[in-house]
Amino acid sequence: MAGFGIGSEIASVAATATVPITAPPETPKLPPREWVKANLFSSPFNSVLTVVSTAILLTLSWNLLKFIFNPIRQWNASATNLRLLMTRAYPEEQYLRIWVCVAIILTLAGSSMAVWRTGSAMPVTGLGRKLLATGALLVLLALLAPFSAGATVQWLLAALVVAAVGEALRRTGGRGETERTVSTLTLQVVALAGLVASLWVIPFGHHSYIPKRIPQVMHEPGTVALSTKLPWTIMLVVVVAAYFGGVLLRDRLAENALRVTLVVLWLLAPPVLVYLILRDPDFDMGHVIGTDIPIFLAYAVLGSTLLLWLTRPSTGEIGRIVAALVLLAGFATFLSPMRMVLRLDLLLLATFALAAPTFAGGLRARKRYTGAWLVLLGVMSWLITSINTASTVRVPGGFFIGGLAITLMVAIFTIVLSVPLGIALALARTSSMPIFRLLATWFIEFVRGVPLITILIFFSIMLPLFLPRGMHLGEVAAVIIGFVLFSAAYMAENIRGGLQSVTRGQHEAAEAVGMTTAQKTVFIVLPQALRVAIPPLVGHCIGVFKETSLLAIIGVFDLLYMARYVVPGQTEFMGSARESILFVIPIYWIVCSRMSKASQRIEQRTGLGER
Amino acid sequence: MKSKYWKLLAVFLSIGIVAAACGSDDDAGTTTTAAPTTAAPTTAAPTTQVEVVQGGSLLDTVQARGTLHCGVSGSAVAFSETQPDGSVTGIDADFCRAVAAAVTGSADNVEFTALTASERFTAVQTGDVDVLMRNTTWTQSRDSSVGMDFGPTTYYDGQQLMARVSDGFSGSSQVADIDGSVVCTNVGTTTEKNIAEAALLAGAEITLLGFETSDEVYETFIAGGCDITTTDGSALVGRKAKQQPADQEWVIFPATPISKEPLGPTYGQNDSAWADAVNWTVYAMIILDEYGITSANVDDHVGDEAEVGRLLGGEGELQSGMGLAPDAFYQVIKQVGSYGEVYDRNLNPVGLYREGSANAGWLDGGLIYSPPAR
Repeated sequence: MAGFGIGSEIASVAATATVPITAPPETPKLPPREWVKANLFSSPFNSVLTVVSTAILLTLSWNLLKFIFNPIRQWNASATNLRLLMTRAYPEEQYLRIWVCVAIILTLAGSSMAVWRTGSAMPVTGLGRKLLATGALLVLLALLAPFSAGATVQWLLAALVVAAVGEALRRTGGRGETERTVSTLTLQVVALAGLVASLWVIPFGHHSYIPKRIPQVMHEPGTVALSTKLPWTIMLVVVVAAYFGGVLLRDRLAENALRVTLVVLWLLAPPVLVYLILRDPDFDMGHVIGTDIPIFLAYAVLGSTLLLWLTRPSTGEIGRIVAALVLLAGFATFLSPMRMVLRLDLLLLATFALAAPTFAGGLRARKRYTGAWLVLLGVMSWLITSINTASTVRVPGGFFIGGLAITLMVAIFTIVLSVPLGIALALARTSSMPIFRLLATWFIEFVRGVPLITILIFFSIMLPLFLPRGMHLGEVAAVIIGFVLFSAAYMAENIRGGLQSVTRGQHEAAEAVGMTTAQKTVFIVLPQALRVAIPPLVGHCIGVFKETSLLAIIGVFDLLYMARYVVPGQTEFMGSARESILFVIPIYWIVCSRMSKASQRIEQRTGLGER
Repeated sequence: MKSKYWKLLAVFLSIGIVAAACGSDDDAGTTTTAAPTTAAPTTAAPTTQVEVVQGGSLLDTVQARGTLHCGVSGSAVAFSETQPDGSVTGIDADFCRAVAAAVTGSADNVEFTALTASERFTAVQTGDVDVLMRNTTWTQSRDSSVGMDFGPTTYYDGQQLMARVSDGFSGSSQVADIDGSVVCTNVGTTTEKNIAEAALLAGAEITLLGFETSDEVYETFIAGGCDITTTDGSALVGRKAKQQPADQEWVIFPATPISKEPLGPTYGQNDSAWADAVNWTVYAMIILDEYGITSANVDDHVGDEAEVGRLLGGEGELQSGMGLAPDAFYQVIKQVGSYGEVYDRNLNPVGLYREGSANAGWLDGGLIYSPPAR
């Protein structure tokens, strides 16, 4: 898969980039002479390889440093435009909403870290060794970089301080029984606290324009640091508090229930943050009470009754016919004009009705199934209502958010929506029913035969021209649909690969214990298939995240477009495109490397490659 | 037999999931208003929802909505820049504000939509924007087959070349002098075609180097990778003012550009009332500039005789006759400024001045000219 290829490429690039740098052969203090000899100069070929790659690495870093520390570089451009790069034109007076969102995500992240027991104990001597290596690396860079003599001395001093701290830690760390350890989480918090503290000291960027009828340059520029130092300090406190809260809950409550709750909260977070907090729907209560709630209640009562009846073991074949009729009715609603919410609710009901016989059983099971229907119906009704309501946040431009926020939003929605669609397509493609197999095959092969750009342009530019008058598809919704369809086709093939790895014996064993096809698929085949498909799936997700930058072609102002065109399009920062691109590279890298780390954790947890 | 049913069910279930996933997403940013009974149309854009005035002019729609939807570039230096706080500035942005002031009474009633070059005309056709102020060149094909109409030119641009004085170039150099040079430009634009044609006509043999972004072009030019760069004159002047290193001296030539790039407001065709409103906003700014009226002194001239008085609302029937408020153009001058003011505010900082250019008034030998207001 293309996405997988890119993912593994990143991993290999990261590996080649970091391994020789953390252990450069020029630092005689760090590794013993034998280690160097055994690892880097073991054979003539190996020696040549070491020398050549060292030369290449040194030239590369020298040129990079020459570029970065060139006085004509406008690094101020990224610092000053941080807000633009993160959220585009979100209004200043409403910015609290962004911070609330960040706080919610950090709370979830902090408590998840506690509940899943992330972080590990790291020996203090190991930490010392790492700091020592960092100091050596800094010395190397300071000598390479085209600094003035004064600056070189300053950097060298800083490097020596780092190395000295490392050496001290290494010596005091203890050994064997007396070895002291430190949690990696503590180290991360210390690093974050250092970053936040730097906001209070260093005036990053300047935020020089004041919005007026005719915007003017302020005489006394404020700084980006000025407006973010307090919020980020609060965020640091929030994430630490969330972690300890998570520890408390973990020790007092059932761990499994806590994990399920957190997963549900994570899944609920994107729509809640986007549609409730960032957009803040301006509810017309009369309409909500007069129309939305009655529709919900009607569906809740009728649907529950239907589902309770359908899940009765005694209902039998007639239930399936009724369910199929509901589905037909759901599709038929598109023939006559009516509210979209009526159609969607009916389709959801049809889905539940069709699946109902699988969940047939005792009263408790039936009640639980009906409860699931009610919860899903409630979430969907709320989403549709809040989406269909005007926002109280007035933001200029085509969409209320941009920059990194829209990159993340499109990536998350695409990944979350295309996974179930991909599973459905993979199942359909491997099914024994020719119509569905053909449809799925055609769809997958067609989508994979068309470039993503074509699909995006079709959905954003052509589709609005085909839509009937009065029907309007928001640009972001259009591209997310296009993206989901594209991504699902690739996901389906990844999952199909997993499905084929499940041996015939598993199928037969499942059938032998009397499982139905649905039970066999859900409980035997899919778990094994998905486990095998994790690496390509995560590779694909990384690909999706990076492909969001193609949105720029159709005028969605994502992070890369901001850095490449909008920031250099300011009179003040004309010609700063390369600085901005260098600034966004680490952002993309951090997100992608986190995803790949998560994939490794899941692989370990599911024992992939071990059994 | 039973397993067949189950297969059918499994597939139906998967289709159902698909339908639900697509369906809910479909609604997630859509206004699926198949019937008039449906709730107010929704877009993700937080706009006040106003019904489109059926069959009427866009002018009525914009006035009913109270907000002008203006399409800009959002990343064009001095024309429409996005500032760090998200606001849009530049000469194009100011003409948007001017139209908003004339049509709705306040220059603040404008919502900027940043558009890429490829989607700008579609945005007009689908009604996403009411008017384009997106440095769009007025050409025959755009005016006819693309389905656009063009307002009065607000900026006369034209493609020029920039080279180093140390290479023997001067302001009086001609295209024929670039024989044997390496020329850098952006790929995929008319700029590339124009320079190739001009060099062919002048009998000069050149090597064209194409780059994806302008920044790469100028980095290469500074580093000596090319002898000449070429693009619209306004951009060259800005780059020269901003990026010329201390040890180089750049010069822009030929004095007469090798292409004509008249930039101005663009809107959908066959809507005269809307076209009149946009055009006469620009004309009023040009006429009042000829009389030396600015946002600072406009209050002293409200009661003036003749043309100034007519435009500023003394006798309002001219404006009322075209569906605007009598004091529409007073608001434009008061809140945004006259043509010269808007030009100087946005283009002087990047080194573009009206004097001696095609953008001087017709009385000063330029091309900025307006029909009389009477």
